[in-house]
Amino acid sequence: MIRVLIADDEAMIRSALAALLRLEPDIDIVAECADGEDALAEAVRLSPDVCLLDLEMPGLDGVEVAQRLARTTSVRCLVITRHARPGVLRRALSAGVVGFLPKSRGADEVAAVIRKVAAGGRYVDPEVAADALSDERCPLTDRELDVLRAGRRGETTGQIARILSLAPGTVRNHVSAIIAKLGVRTRQQAVLIAEDRGWI
Amino acid sequence: MTAREPASVDTDADAPARAALRLSRGITATWWYTFSGILFFELMLVFVWTVAFYAAGRPAVVILIAGVVWAAATVPLLLDYRGRADAARSLQWRRAAVPVGVILGCGVVLALASGTWIVGLSPVVSALLLLHWARGVRMRVVIAGTILLIAVWFIDARTTFPAGLEGDGWLVGFYSTFLPAMTVTTLWWWDVMASLDRARLSEARLAATQERLRVATDVHDLQGHHLQVIALQLELAERLLAQDPDAALEQLRAARASVDDARQGTRDLATRFRAVPLRDELANAADLLRAAGTVTDATVDADADHAPAPVLAPVIREATTNILRHGGGAWARLSLTRSGAMWRLEIANDADDLGDDVGSGEAVGGGAGLPGMQRRVAEAGGTFEVRRGKNAFTVIAIVPGIEERP
Repeated sequence: MIRVLIADDEAMIRSALAALLRLEPDIDIVAECADGEDALAEAVRLSPDVCLLDLEMPGLDGVEVAQRLARTTSVRCLVITRHARPGVLRRALSAGVVGFLPKSRGADEVAAVIRKVAAGGRYVDPEVAADALSDERCPLTDRELDVLRAGRRGETTGQIARILSLAPGTVRNHVSAIIAKLGVRTRQQAVLIAEDRGWI
Repeated sequence: MTAREPASVDTDADAPARAALRLSRGITATWWYTFSGILFFELMLVFVWTVAFYAAGRPAVVILIAGVVWAAATVPLLLDYRGRADAARSLQWRRAAVPVGVILGCGVVLALASGTWIVGLSPVVSALLLLHWARGVRMRVVIAGTILLIAVWFIDARTTFPAGLEGDGWLVGFYSTFLPAMTVTTLWWWDVMASLDRARLSEARLAATQERLRVATDVHDLQGHHLQVIALQLELAERLLAQDPDAALEQLRAARASVDDARQGTRDLATRFRAVPLRDELANAADLLRAAGTVTDATVDADADHAPAPVLAPVIREATTNILRHGGGAWARLSLTRSGAMWRLEIANDADDLGDDVGSGEAVGGGAGLPGMQRRVAEAGGTFEVRRGKNAFTVIAIVPGIEERP
């Protein structure tokens, strides 16, 4: 029996998927969770074989849950999403997620992927991979991304400089380089673009 | 034909963005040209006053200082002028109060120091023109101001011009009188540029809106058609359920297939404009493999944007997906190089069964696998080779480059 935890904030989809997967003879759904925190707590408590995590959940998203689980447990995480935003697959792979598939796959296909992952394999859906390969390249350097990340909640230049242990002048130089590269007027606009395209 | 399509979509999408960037830089440069032109003219005038009244024995230092302060006080007004379309008029009048006060003070000082009316009045009139007048009013203000200054020049020339000013009197009078008109002409030129820029922006917005509407219509048509088909299939299944369960089951399966069709169609629509340069595609592939913990080495020819992307991009996708599916392996090597007219794409990885699993990938809605790649490359007149070595699996595609059109 493969013990599976399902986390999805959309109750209809979660219960339907759980019901369909319970019909599989070798899969047992041990928990159904409505958000990321719940999924994290249940996964630690029940230690299932596979966690099936929705990407878009309030609070912690699927990749964040997988990342935290990877630190403490050896549970294998599958992320499932309706629409993979740019950069998500890369983030998921570096978080140690072993499978990534779109929500549109039928329950039989999901079951096949669960079996494969439980047996130690990996699965990256071709559709998700194709999307990830046609992502727009980020024109910013790693340091510039650090600056945007440190200032994404409206921190001042001084605060960013303290977080990154840089001189305020250096931070200002990075910011003006970012603004010129992205063709925007303010740092806040740059942050919005970078978040939208999955760069930070 | 299909081979060229994605490339042309890509350049079409890029060109307006680049042009917009260039133009917005252009309009900024025009603004600073306007700004520095007006400021230069003002400082020139201050210089003329200083020299002329120094020769006539007036307190030239006071005139110089008051003149420079006046020119400096017009700077905030000029800076406000640029953004005046965005800001509320009442706000601008309030912000203008301090500079206008300073300018009035300078006018008084200049008039007293020079002993003439025109030197006091000219700066005040030209500063008033920088304020936010309603449409058409500024023209009247400049005409009235110029007539006033001509009259004052006439009076000054008769009564107040000091004795030592003979020749310079003309210079001072002429420059001072036509400063307002000169300022307004320069600002008018800027206004024309700014409205041209606004027209260009709204044109771009209109094009984007039209495109959005077109996509919305496409989505609506597509979904409407598929939903209707699905509704019919479900209705049929409902009716058949009692009498002929097998036929009902058949209809349910058909409905599911219709849902897949609808989904695929929507996806095709959404990804229709997503074509990235081959070089980006390879860089993305290397990033993904590195994120999966594979040591990845990517060699891409600097000229890679000329390689036939429609043939090679699917090979890159397929091969990368296969490597990822096998857990990445320890190392991977991607290379795209050119030799003469041929492009050589080589993707190697230490997974030893890369090709064998493609069948199962297909079962889970996957791509066409190795045979599909082989067919596509052959259609483009290239050769496709798979090498299964010890601890290495290599896919090599060699295709002719796109012939350069003259």
